[in-house]
Amino acid sequence: MEDTPALLPALLIAAAAGAGAWLLRRSWQGKQQQTGPVVAGWLLILAAIIAPAWVLGPARGPFVALAIVSTAALAVVAAGYTIRQAKARAARESLAPEPSDRTTTKGRETLRWLLAGPIGMIAAMGVGIAWAALVPGEQQTRLVVGGLIVPVAWGACMAWTLADNRILRATAVLTGVALVSFTAAILKGFA
Amino acid sequence: MTAAAPKPAKPVRKKDLMSRIPAGFVRAVLRGHSSLGLAFAALIYLICLSGSIAVFAHEFQRWESATAPQLTGASPDAVQTAFEGAIAAGGPGVEHVYITLPTNDFPRLLLYVDADKDRQFVAGADGRIAQGNDFAWTEFITRLHINLHLPRTWGGFLVGLIGVALLSSLISGILAHPRIFRDAFHLRLGGSRRLQEADFHNRLGVWALPFHILISLSGAFLGLTTIIVGVLGMAMFNGDVNKVYALFIPAPPVDDPRPAPVLDLRPMYAKLPQDGGRLTYIFTEHPTETGGAALFNVEQPDRMAGVDSYAFRRDATIYNSDKASENNLGEDLLGGMGQLHFGWFGGGIVRIVYFLLGLGLTYLAASGVNIWLARRRDKGRPAPGWERAWAATVWGQPAGLAAAAVAGLASASTSVAIGAWLAVGILFLLAAIRLSATSLSRFGCLATGALTLLAVAVHLILRGGLAAADPMAWIVNAVLLAGGLLLLLRKNRGAAAPAQGPHTQPA
Repeated sequence: MEDTPALLPALLIAAAAGAGAWLLRRSWQGKQQQTGPVVAGWLLILAAIIAPAWVLGPARGPFVALAIVSTAALAVVAAGYTIRQAKARAARESLAPEPSDRTTTKGRETLRWLLAGPIGMIAAMGVGIAWAALVPGEQQTRLVVGGLIVPVAWGACMAWTLADNRILRATAVLTGVALVSFTAAILKGFA
Repeated sequence: MTAAAPKPAKPVRKKDLMSRIPAGFVRAVLRGHSSLGLAFAALIYLICLSGSIAVFAHEFQRWESATAPQLTGASPDAVQTAFEGAIAAGGPGVEHVYITLPTNDFPRLLLYVDADKDRQFVAGADGRIAQGNDFAWTEFITRLHINLHLPRTWGGFLVGLIGVALLSSLISGILAHPRIFRDAFHLRLGGSRRLQEADFHNRLGVWALPFHILISLSGAFLGLTTIIVGVLGMAMFNGDVNKVYALFIPAPPVDDPRPAPVLDLRPMYAKLPQDGGRLTYIFTEHPTETGGAALFNVEQPDRMAGVDSYAFRRDATIYNSDKASENNLGEDLLGGMGQLHFGWFGGGIVRIVYFLLGLGLTYLAASGVNIWLARRRDKGRPAPGWERAWAATVWGQPAGLAAAAVAGLASASTSVAIGAWLAVGILFLLAAIRLSATSLSRFGCLATGALTLLAVAVHLILRGGLAAADPMAWIVNAVLLAGGLLLLLRKNRGAAAPAQGPHTQPA
């Protein structure tokens, strides 16, 4: 037996999500904050993501919907494009935040990238492995969730260490996390 | 003279959560976002671009094997004939044979023989080995995305690292965007190129965020699996990584290397349950040894994660069976990760959406650098060298991929396709020494369009031409033709109205 075709449900998902995004646009671009359309917009988008579970499969449906919802929302954004007036340019430009110009040294930058790279990876692996060892549940679930934690934690480490000016604090935290998590995981073992 | 009346107080609009983030924090995060993006931009761009194309791997395989027999199904007898034929043609040292059975998405009976020299075959409805087994371009584009054509472990790790960098950029990108809700629907074209690119960059980044997170997280997980399992094995299983894998895959059959006739799959077929599932894949191990075994994968409709699997000994007795409906969460997550990453779970519409959103992610990487370059130019500190290098990267890669398609079709060799891609990429970087960013962009656009059209021409000449049996070949050729022409026309339009500043965004 073949999978349920996704074309027609996808069109319905796109219509619901597009309507939801349009309500959000109408509300956010108005001068007054309107709670009703915002709530209705989010509810429509939520329904567009959840409802396909009954038609296309409990996991397949929402994942199909997530891709379609993003596309429908971007279509609403594209449909509302405006042509920027040259006069307004200078004023708008000043609103854009600029990256900070922190003073730094070669040593600090090297340490920063070491923290974002290998040290962050080791700390993130420690967290993932500690999760697999310490959290109750099925072995496979603990391992896979632990494995998924690694890229998330490593990515968060990168974002943090590359932004934080207090580099020694980041060094201490990441080293501490790696030591504590690996020690806890090894002491507990995997059962 | 009257005193001026006090101005009426403006209604205070409550600040949303993101707007309350302190400006200093935003600027620091933006600095990190910028550093990370610049450090990995070229690799993120290449991996996203190749991934967007690899979504259509099955369609490209059908395109490359347009003359091969199209099958809607394959009988057990036909599969057995094909299996024996592939082993006979595969040469000495056969260790495994992987059999992909025909489906709606991929109407081919495909056999991959892992022997002293690995080979791939397609078979007809009667099981006889047929022509049309050269998948050099598909192999090129999928391997480029999965391991950048580096040794598999290192390449996979590097791609996983890029997934992490992308995930990190998404985190910092959101934190550095205090006007995320207020500007959620603003798309302002014209005026400053930098601000227009920033609007595109931010809107795409925000509204496609769920897709971006799914792709980067699953990609990072798949790429880093080897190293994660290695560390896990070292830390908790005394270095034995096989104990980790044993939790997810059935135990291998008892090894018995004595020679034996080719495994007979037909009695195994007869023992598969008739429960509405669809047999999609057969994995055979040591098929010409007494210890030979076969694993049958049966997909259940509308199930994204995992398959029912039945492992048979040579005598067709089942030694292991797993039902996907009895999977725990971890097995479901692992089973669905690949499909989720490549968009192979919702038919053509999802693949098209994945391709478009993937191109959006590719544009995100390109526009991030464009914004940085334009900001430098606005501040009176232009970096013309970097502008040229980035234009060469952004346009050298699509041109290189198109050249690889031409070379792969013409030579039926993945190595030649890799050589063509490298040569074009290097040529563009060398051209960046002399040519301006604008010239490189125009030339790249023209080269990509022309090479895409050339790929269609080579396909028509060498891979079935007008007599191609598979309609997918016509669809792929039509799309490539339209894409190639669009790029050529875009080039002409660009020549008529030169852009301001760096002109490096892909089509």
